[in-house]
Amino acid sequence: MEPIRDTHATLVDLLDRILDKGIVIYADVIVSVAGIPLIGVNLRAALAGMETMLKYGVMVDWDEKSRAWEREHRKKKVVPLMEGEEIVLKMFGSQLYSEGIYTAWRQGQLHLTDKRLLLYQKDFDEILFQTPLEKIRGMVIRKEKHFTKEEVEVLYLLFQDNRVAQFRTVDIYRLKEAIEERMKVKGLTLEENPILPGFDRRVLKFVRGEEKVAHISEMWCQPLIQTSGGILNDVWNPGSLYLSDQKLCWQHHFNEKTTVEIPLDELTDMKIQIRDLGGVLKKKKLLVVSCNGTETCFSGEEEKICQWEKTLNKIMSKQGTQLEMETCPQCGEKAPTDGLLEKGCSKCGWVSPKLREEVVETVV
Amino acid sequence: MLDNNKPEVVVANEVKAESKGEGRYLYCVADNGERADLGKIGLDGKEVYTIPLADLCAVVHNCPSEPYKSEDQEVVKRWVMTHEKVVEIAGERFGTVLPLGFDTIIKGEEDISPEENIKNWLKQDYANLKEKMNKVRDKAEYGVQIFWDPKFITDEITKTSEEIKSLNQDIISKPKGMAYMLKPKLENLLKKEMEKKADLCSKDFYARIKKCVFEIRVEKTKKTDEKRQMLMNLSCLVGKEKSKELGEELQKISEQEGFFVRFTGPWPPYSFVAFG
Repeated sequence: MEPIRDTHATLVDLLDRILDKGIVIYADVIVSVAGIPLIGVNLRAALAGMETMLKYGVMVDWDEKSRAWEREHRKKKVVPLMEGEEIVLKMFGSQLYSEGIYTAWRQGQLHLTDKRLLLYQKDFDEILFQTPLEKIRGMVIRKEKHFTKEEVEVLYLLFQDNRVAQFRTVDIYRLKEAIEERMKVKGLTLEENPILPGFDRRVLKFVRGEEKVAHISEMWCQPLIQTSGGILNDVWNPGSLYLSDQKLCWQHHFNEKTTVEIPLDELTDMKIQIRDLGGVLKKKKLLVVSCNGTETCFSGEEEKICQWEKTLNKIMSKQGTQLEMETCPQCGEKAPTDGLLEKGCSKCGWVSPKLREEVVETVV
Repeated sequence: MLDNNKPEVVVANEVKAESKGEGRYLYCVADNGERADLGKIGLDGKEVYTIPLADLCAVVHNCPSEPYKSEDQEVVKRWVMTHEKVVEIAGERFGTVLPLGFDTIIKGEEDISPEENIKNWLKQDYANLKEKMNKVRDKAEYGVQIFWDPKFITDEITKTSEEIKSLNQDIISKPKGMAYMLKPKLENLLKKEMEKKADLCSKDFYARIKKCVFEIRVEKTKKTDEKRQMLMNLSCLVGKEKSKELGEELQKISEQEGFFVRFTGPWPPYSFVAFG
């Protein structure tokens, strides 16, 4: 075997020797940096990573590319505004995003301009939410319990189409005032003490046809699936349970299939059970509904279970097959009386004067 | 700062007090008391000459007393290679040389020129330098790096180790879950066997190489790619007549399946001249 000494192939071997080795002079007559004898001290920086570079050969190129990429991405991102649009107020904030069972407060920079309210996520250069000011019908600030058990004030924006959006920010009142001021400048009026629709619009999208919804909420359902071993399927699925003037239905959030459908006259029994659901979910209240001998279990927040208990009891006690119906005074749609009076109209957002007073009281 | 138009000082000891900013870039110390001019072969084409003291001389060029630095890697590469070239030329001309690392610059002081400082150093370290000179005389440095292909070695161990063979059998026959649990055990066992094998091989190679060389320095191994793992990294001081023998021994090692040898040199004896 012959040793190699080709200058390019052995540059790294040479560097290993020439930078770290050779005679070391212990004398103060040697040029040094802060007392360290200078043997390539300054070059070390320039040479760092050189070995890797040589190994890959094209490092110089690659490095330039990565620098260019970095430059591009370091560029200060600016919120995309329309021509002539001016920012009135800018603050960090978040908006409640909800799709199916998934909800999250999405954070970004809230920008109030002379035309829009928008939530901009700088890192992803994405507008998470935006609305023209003209679309805002009213605003309400509500105190809500945060999951940390603290009370948080949430700004609800009610839009012309009855949609609702929720925002949080450090100074929520300043945001509200700024929006009000901007609306005034534009000659737009806001409804005084607007009432938020009692129905969550996003669960209502599951209801189709002519059904008139009396009660609806997100509930977990344990479908009774008999497996070959005779064991009940123990899977809880997210979905929406709703009561209409005709039936009690539950619809799966993801596949959007109505897997539970009980005509009201076939509803034979309803009871509350207490069970351990596994994990930390101990002694939880369950809603058990019977129809033709089959039982279906629903779980969810205790408050919701109690509401369902009340609602279903009412129906069962009436022994009636029909829900009491009433016409909405605003849009003329037929709707179950209880729902209409206690929550407002699911179609147009009308709220009874009595309820309006109650809500105003709780808000103020 | 160095004035490029200033005539190069070839006979340095005539100059008593040079400006304080002057320095001498040191390439090597040669085993020869000759005062000589080697021409414009230095860094950036500088004139290289010797500063003799008794039967030794320092090979230098004139420069400002501040380090060479550049952001440009090409420039740095060129400098490093030039440094090496000068040491080689000095070696050819003067015989034995003790190389210095890159960017070693001796400065002047008030009333003392850089030349005098160099001479003082040569005088002071004379015995030591002479001792080193004798050690490296008629020898050269070679780099020996031995690699192995970890995949090949793993396969080999898997084939020969009874323990691993039976564990492998277990994994194949057990249900998925069990097999999953056994895998880390197998990996651990393999790792240990690999370490054992690496230790054994290293000792064997070291002993075989030692026979052909004067002195060995064990250097740190480096990370390389997955296919070639560095097993050992050696600097060897080898007598001129012995280098062929070393090459033959390395040839044998490299012929073993799964092993690779990188044999570089001859280098000036950078690794065998450090004091202390």
